[in-house]
Amino acid sequence: MRLVCAPEGTIMDARRPGQGIGDILNAGFAETILDGLLCCKEREFKGMDKVRKDAAREKRPYIPDEPERIGEALKPLMDACREKGLAMSIARAPYLLRDRKSPELTEIYRNIAVEAVGLAVSARCEAVIVRPLFAGVPFGKEWEMNRTFYLSLLPLLQESGTKILLENQCKNSEGHLIRGILSDPLEGVDWIDALNQEAGEERFGFCMDAGVYNLCGQDMYEAATTLGNRVKAVILRDNNGHDEDSLLPFTCISDYGQQTEWLGLIRGLREIQFDGYLIMDAKMTLDAVSPILRPTYMKLVKETADYFKWQIELESLMKKYEHVVLFGAGNMCRNYLINYGDKYPPLFTCDNNKDRWGEEFFGLTIHNPEDLKDLPEGTGIFICNVYYREIEAQLRGMGITNGIEYFNDEYLPALNMHRLKGL
Amino acid sequence: MLEIGVQTHNAVFDENPEAGFRMIKEAGFTCCDFSLNMYLKNTDLYLHRVNGFFDPPVSEMEAFFGPHKEAAKKNGIRIHQMHMPYPNFIPDAAQEINDYLVKEMAPKSLQICDFFDCRYIVIHGLKVKQFYGSEEAEWAKTEEFIETIAPMAKEMGITICAENIYTSAGKHIVDGPCCNARKMAERIDRVNEKYHAEVLGFCFDTGHANLVGIDFEKFLGMLGQRLKVLHIHDNDGIADLHQMPFTFTKTRENHPSTDWNGFLRGLKAAKFDGVLSFETAPVLQSFPLELRPQALHMIAEIGHYFAKKLEED
Repeated sequence: MRLVCAPEGTIMDARRPGQGIGDILNAGFAETILDGLLCCKEREFKGMDKVRKDAAREKRPYIPDEPERIGEALKPLMDACREKGLAMSIARAPYLLRDRKSPELTEIYRNIAVEAVGLAVSARCEAVIVRPLFAGVPFGKEWEMNRTFYLSLLPLLQESGTKILLENQCKNSEGHLIRGILSDPLEGVDWIDALNQEAGEERFGFCMDAGVYNLCGQDMYEAATTLGNRVKAVILRDNNGHDEDSLLPFTCISDYGQQTEWLGLIRGLREIQFDGYLIMDAKMTLDAVSPILRPTYMKLVKETADYFKWQIELESLMKKYEHVVLFGAGNMCRNYLINYGDKYPPLFTCDNNKDRWGEEFFGLTIHNPEDLKDLPEGTGIFICNVYYREIEAQLRGMGITNGIEYFNDEYLPALNMHRLKGL
Repeated sequence: MLEIGVQTHNAVFDENPEAGFRMIKEAGFTCCDFSLNMYLKNTDLYLHRVNGFFDPPVSEMEAFFGPHKEAAKKNGIRIHQMHMPYPNFIPDAAQEINDYLVKEMAPKSLQICDFFDCRYIVIHGLKVKQFYGSEEAEWAKTEEFIETIAPMAKEMGITICAENIYTSAGKHIVDGPCCNARKMAERIDRVNEKYHAEVLGFCFDTGHANLVGIDFEKFLGMLGQRLKVLHIHDNDGIADLHQMPFTFTKTRENHPSTDWNGFLRGLKAAKFDGVLSFETAPVLQSFPLELRPQALHMIAEIGHYFAKKLEED
């Protein structure tokens, strides 16, 4: 899995990217996006006369009028990334505001997309995200018009290995964001398979935008498992379900908990063994904090990306070991057994409560933690208790040299209806 | 012209059902959606409180509802659809409560439905996705529930209608059971084929669909004639407010933020020929007592407007 940091919110100006690139690298990311939004934001398509004049005054290209200058506009960024060793193997074409309805904009957007794909190919990107045409596209004509559009981009790919990624959309219905083109994952499957068939090879894939799925209250497990290995990239961003924000995951919360159903997304990506680009888009969170605090926030963005990767690849932790033992004999232990007990059966579990030693817990014998000192080689100890760090310190203090791993039951494939109490 | 209906909750009261049905009639409705769910409330069930309403034999329950049936008939109101109490499964409740819901509440609901000569009963699917892991597994449990009452429904000529409902992530409302039109169309066909009868149909709830950004036109077009009944109401896209259509806007232009034109196009595409039934009980609660008849009248007028639009080509 490739962890990617979207540049918006960090790199404020494509002409002066040095500090932002430094922040991204210092946070631990090795990749960013070759992002067309850095030279042509959505708002460039609103009040276009004024924006055109502003661009002239600022002596920068106005991309809707001069799409062929997109490479020139992003050159300082690309040069700086190359120099500092920040990879850009995925690109994104600029896109329109969701409330744009004028069919004339479709032609402008089409020309920009052509140039953005050309730039991605020349920059040897492996993938480029290109949103479908929607402005002025009549109901029922979505596939017909977009089929022509996407196929028209094929010749640009030439002999490169670049793939075009389609993305799920919402649409603006009088201020209410509702399900748009490709929001139905089966539609995504149909489109990608048909396009690849016409291309004669796998040239098209899918980028899941978690923020958009959340705006439409959609089941991301269904989306991921329906799209399957067509999913090449996932954009992680949080919002309140109503406003199209790009917040750091787990920060949009209410007193009832998370506003995004991360459970479905993690379950789904784990099930399809997702191994593509995991793109962190925390633009608005980063925009909102002082530039002085931004490097600290960036580290949290990276740790959050690492956490998602860890959750998605949870099963690979168990695969690493010949044998597994657990630490903890409560709900988390039971959840391990329900989800992974058959595939990776533990030798035993243990608990610090000596009154429970020797007790059978869902088929496992509860041992004294001292028994962990005599484990066979190749045995991993999985802590099934929320006091992770305390227990890890205990085990390290005991001189245990076996692998110590954290198990977590917040995002498992299945959960118990009844919690055990009083343990 | 399609008939117009409204739910009985907040309009018809047990102490004087005659007054309620008269108010519904005078407002301009010819049908109603009988709110059986108010006799065993979801808010109680989630607290594992079962009030015993469904304990007596059906004959006693029929006697209880006799005045309601008579009042509806007297006022020319046809009980077109009924809402079964929900949920029919509570994940953290004792087995005996869940058994009661399946073995007592559900079959007796069907019998009451039949007593009212009502041919459609609306159910909620089970909300168990987080425990079982997938929507498919969740539906399997709902289908198990449907199987328990489908033979009786077939015998009575009643269609059980599964409704699109929601669940939540924090305060954010997200897809719940029966929100995938394509899957629901396949499932309805499969179940009906098994029983050689229309035992299963769909209840489209506009408010719930709006909360999860469902495209009305596309959804209804996929359902087609599997769509049997409606729950028409409006909200702000955030909370399940059950207000009358055209209430909410989100832009300075003040166009409705709920896609009512898409709703009408969808009904046309589905060739809907049922009742335009409103689930707008909270409107009656929010208007002062003196204005309730007028509020109800306004809802009926909206229904007539929809019916007229559907007649136009």
